[in-house]
This record gives sequence, structure tokens and C-alpha cells, in this order.
Amino acid sequence: MGLLPDEAKVLPPPGIVNRNSVWFGLCGWATAMLHNSLNRRPALKAGVHRQALFITVGWFIGYHLTKYENYKYATLDRDMNEYIRLHPNEFPEKERKTFAEIVEPFHPIR
Amino acid sequence: MPLGRLLLRTSAVNKMISRNSFVASKPDPSKPNMLRVGLAFGSTAFLWALLFKQHSTDVHEYKTRNGLQ
Repeated sequence: MGLLPDEAKVLPPPGIVNRNSVWFGLCGWATAMLHNSLNRRPALKAGVHRQALFITVGWFIGYHLTKYENYKYATLDRDMNEYIRLHPNEFPEKERKTFAEIVEPFHPIR
Repeated sequence: MPLGRLLLRTSAVNKMISRNSFVASKPDPSKPNMLRVGLAFGSTAFLWALLFKQHSTDVHEYKTRNGLQ
């Protein structure tokens, strides 16, 4: 992990197929197809090596972006839970009523 | 000789540095540049291998640090 600190390794790593990877892969593929069409080549059948390379680069970037995103959200959650733990008076337990107590008695008129 | 005539001599050297329409060739799709294709596919394979290796390292690290294996 290049930009991630050591503690990020405690988090479960994202799967090979993950949201960001798929999206960036598709974007890479769209870029390659656009490159083909702007150079007046058949969009899908030409430059397959270029399409494969762009999809791969997008997938790679997406995987590392997902790892970074997971770490950022995990730190936010940790800080939030730590704050809640240190300030219990700001988070009182609300008393919960069941629906039976709130709802008016039902008198069917048939 | 006027300078213009002298400068015309550079056209032989200039062909290596610049492309003009009398000299340049259009990219020919029927003759792919196999070096570039090979490099593209090679770097594709390399990146996939790197990704799978990184993933397996991450999974191993996760399991070790959380005492699952």
C-alpha cells in the first residue's frame, strides 16, 4: 500500500471485482473505443491490445482506490465511535414506545 | 550561394526530426507494429499479475493481523 499507513492492513482487502474497478475498467474501455472512433477505425474490433491495456489500467487504479476509500471510511467510523464513547452525555438512550402504545384503539365500522 | 539555397540542404536531416506530408506515411492498420502490440499485451499481463499478487498479499496480511490464520 503506497499511500496507506501500516494500520490500514488490518482492514479486509476489497475483492478483485469491486465497484470502482469495474467502473474505471469500463471508463478505460470507453476511452479506447473513443480513440478508435476518432481515428476512423471500427470501434470494437480495432486496437484490441489498446482496449485490454486501458481496461487493465482502469481496473488496477480502481482496486487501489477502493482500498484507499475503505481506509478513509474506517478512520471516520473509528473517530466517530471514539467521540461517542468519550461523550456519553450527548447521546442519551431514547425510550422506545411500541406501536401498541402510540396507536389509537381500532373500532371497525363495517 | 543565398542562404535560402543553403538551408534547403537540411531537408535530408530534417526528415528524421519532422514529418511533412511528402515524407510521412499514414498509419497502416494491415501492418500492425508488433513491438507496440507486444508491449501492450505484455504490460497488460504484468499489471494483472501484479494486481493478483497484491490482492493475495493483502488477504494474507489481513488474516495474520486479525489472528484468523
